[in-house]
Amino acid sequence: MSATYLKALTANLLAEGDVVFWARDHWAEQFADAELFSDSAAAEAALAVAKAQVRVVVDAYLIDVAEAGSGLAPVSYRERLRALGPTNELTHGKQAIGGAAIAALSAAAGAARSTGRLDLIRRK
Amino acid sequence: MYRYDAIDKEVLADRSNEFRNQVVRRLAGELTEDQFKPLRLMNGLYLQLHAYMLRVAIPYGALNVAQVRRLAWIARTYDKGYGHFTTRQNIQFHWIKLRDTPDILDALAQVDLHAIQTSGNCIRNVTSDPRAGATAEEVDDPRVWSEAIRQWSTLHPEFSYLPRKFKIAVTASAKDRTAAKVHDVGLVLRRNRDGALGFEVMAGGGMGRTPYIGSTIRAHLPAERLLSYLEAILRVYNRHGRRDNIYKARIKILVAALGAEEFARQVEAEWLQIDAARADLPEGELARIRAAFVQPGLEALEPVSAAYEAARAANSALARFVRNNVSAHKAPGYAIVDVSLKAHDATPGDANADQLEVIADLAERYSLGEVRVTHEQNLVLPHVKQDDLLAVFEALAAAGLATPNINLVSDIIACPGLDYCALANARAIPVAQSIAQRFLDPELAEKVGELKIKISGCINACGHHHVGHIGVLGVDKKGEEFYQLTLGGSGAEDASIGQMLGPALAADQVAPAIDTLVAVYLDLRQDGERFLDTYRRTGMAPFKEAVYAVAH
Repeated sequence: MSATYLKALTANLLAEGDVVFWARDHWAEQFADAELFSDSAAAEAALAVAKAQVRVVVDAYLIDVAEAGSGLAPVSYRERLRALGPTNELTHGKQAIGGAAIAALSAAAGAARSTGRLDLIRRK
Repeated sequence: MYRYDAIDKEVLADRSNEFRNQVVRRLAGELTEDQFKPLRLMNGLYLQLHAYMLRVAIPYGALNVAQVRRLAWIARTYDKGYGHFTTRQNIQFHWIKLRDTPDILDALAQVDLHAIQTSGNCIRNVTSDPRAGATAEEVDDPRVWSEAIRQWSTLHPEFSYLPRKFKIAVTASAKDRTAAKVHDVGLVLRRNRDGALGFEVMAGGGMGRTPYIGSTIRAHLPAERLLSYLEAILRVYNRHGRRDNIYKARIKILVAALGAEEFARQVEAEWLQIDAARADLPEGELARIRAAFVQPGLEALEPVSAAYEAARAANSALARFVRNNVSAHKAPGYAIVDVSLKAHDATPGDANADQLEVIADLAERYSLGEVRVTHEQNLVLPHVKQDDLLAVFEALAAAGLATPNINLVSDIIACPGLDYCALANARAIPVAQSIAQRFLDPELAEKVGELKIKISGCINACGHHHVGHIGVLGVDKKGEEFYQLTLGGSGAEDASIGQMLGPALAADQVAPAIDTLVAVYLDLRQDGERFLDTYRRTGMAPFKEAVYAVAH
């Protein structure tokens, strides 16, 4: 298992609730568009900016990303579900658009609990 | 059924306006998320994995036609065309936008529905018997008392900030369809030898990470003293409940720590301090509520319908449906119809907008305008004439709502699990579907008989796994979905907490393990035993041996 630092920044849009990923200068709907941080200072700085966007997003946090056999994907199964949508309704959620990036995410193997999300759960 | 009066309607309109204003202030940045979150939760709005989720209260599981149609309209207009019925007779919408929520609450209020007290540390929606007012088993209509509790507990200032959430179930039948013994307070209405109505009051039941069966703290509370007694229970809990530790804050922990006897003593002492004239429901108000539940429109019919009997004899699908989904009504010539939301490829508890409209139409035409929700995530048409059963069956079948599996192995409770829920460790829905797939053959399912499988995606136990005849609990084992099986639970009048079968199983081993458990049961069962009865007679050993011999 690689110890390489690789993170993406995710949140939910305040007004809509949709899952989004930070993409350099805007929030993107798809994980494929997410900016990947290989430097922890840059990631933490982006997180601080996101947390200040109190009228735009809620629950911003960093997620671990790694090569998952079919491309880069969130390490945590929970985060892959957030990036795709529910497995019982394949036409709901982000997976509905289909395409290669979605197929790669769906095929990603392995699972681990998201460290960022765990903090949120503890707070509930 | 009960109709909201002018005060009820005003409360809902005010609350909706208040929340609209709060949402405007949040979106404008005048409220922080920390300030806003408790406010949205008080209005049933959670943020889950993919979107906001709105939980709408269905008090004691009773809906009228206009309400069902409005839920269908909300599903279509603001969600992805469906709603999810929960294990507490509520409905959840899983794809809600915060900015739409004030409009949704207005639309709900127009038909006397709301999301108040579907979250937060308050007295939640009251659960009751979905067959209330229709079954001959009951000694009184539990909706009368449930409605009294609803009115008393709604926005109750003293009990709006309890140590933790508080759930009450009311049943008036010996056969418990409310899971009363695993509620914070379970109320079972009975008549004593003198014919007087009274409640057996049970306190301290619950599931979650520390499951308990409720203890009886009063065997026969005079019914008219209900509200003052509840007030006494809530006061003792409010005073001594563990606010310092969320995992120990439910009343079950307090009752267990004090012992049921001491808890009861404190409640009785508190009760003596309460002015009954202030706290108990005035007779006139009780009579007014009771009058609202007198069922109009029941006709005097022959006890047996020849047309229906002939249809049943000629149509084996109808006969199977009747065997599993139709029960006796108190009125001659009528029947109670269970509508299964557990088709084999369905998500347990989900109904789409088209299905909801079919249900509303059938209720309007054939069930005196009433629909009920069960805590087992199905629906009920409570007042169907036997003469109309064939038409109702055919209409339900056309809508995918006539799966003849009530209380059978594929009538599985499953929480939304990791597919939707921010708290879940593992998915529940696909596990339910993989089990149901193995019992597609209705003859096999009927041969197995009553078998309640209940699946939760985490230890919070929304899927009632502790009281499943077979319980399935999703756990996170080094980041992978694993499932812990328990056997021997029951949420009914013979309530018990299931015992762990053995080490957790990988996701793809769960359905085969259920197959094995069923095979062991079929092999061991004696005359007429349910799965639960066989387990209770034989114990864990034969089941455990078989599952782990196969799995490893």
